[in-house]
Amino acid sequence: MTPSCDHDDICQLVHGPIDPNPLMRQVRSPEDGAIVTFDGFVRNQSHNRNTLYLDYEAYESMALGKMREIAAQLHEKYRIHRVAIVHRLGRLEIGETSVVIAVSAPHRSAAFDACRFAIDTLKRTVPIWKKEYFEDGAVWADGELPPAPVATPRAKPAS
Amino acid sequence: MLFFGRLKDVIGHAEESLDFAEASTIEQLFAVYSQRVPELAKYRSSVVASRNQEFAAWDTPLHSGDEVAFLPPVSGG
Repeated sequence: MTPSCDHDDICQLVHGPIDPNPLMRQVRSPEDGAIVTFDGFVRNQSHNRNTLYLDYEAYESMALGKMREIAAQLHEKYRIHRVAIVHRLGRLEIGETSVVIAVSAPHRSAAFDACRFAIDTLKRTVPIWKKEYFEDGAVWADGELPPAPVATPRAKPAS
Repeated sequence: MLFFGRLKDVIGHAEESLDFAEASTIEQLFAVYSQRVPELAKYRSSVVASRNQEFAAWDTPLHSGDEVAFLPPVSGG
């Protein structure tokens, strides 16, 4: 399944390596003047412990929905053209790319701002989790609690 | 019911179906699981819930066929 977003955007969860180059080509068009790309990859240490590898899992259907919401928000907030958001799941080795976000726009400023907003929002709201494997064990990474409604809107009691 | 991340480890599996009184809330559902697996209770303040793939308040009433998940802090990226 390759779900797409509106605006010819790309939102995908993949289980193999991500190549940013075709994504940059797909968001690029003659009316644009800039593409900003974020490439997030696996660091070799976490909290001063040597990381061996990471394992990502997702609530896939909801994660895709939230990635599409982010893409839609970018179009509302910034003067951009196209967005690609691709996140990898499963086991990733040190240095392998876990997420790529590419944003094209007529001018660089909107592309920079939108790309920053996209990765910050993804890390806060998209239901993806990573388990960090060390030489002496594994832990679920500390993360951010997504903002959720505090209470359902109450219907007025019948009088 | 779906469990992810550390909650999946606590509960011991990722998903199950259960019969539950109509219009009970997500909070009540969490309480049922906390009785079954007492360790779960300590995660109450560091978990958000979703209903049908949207973040949901704890007092959200549940209906037949709803897909509910308890989500620990997310760490994608």
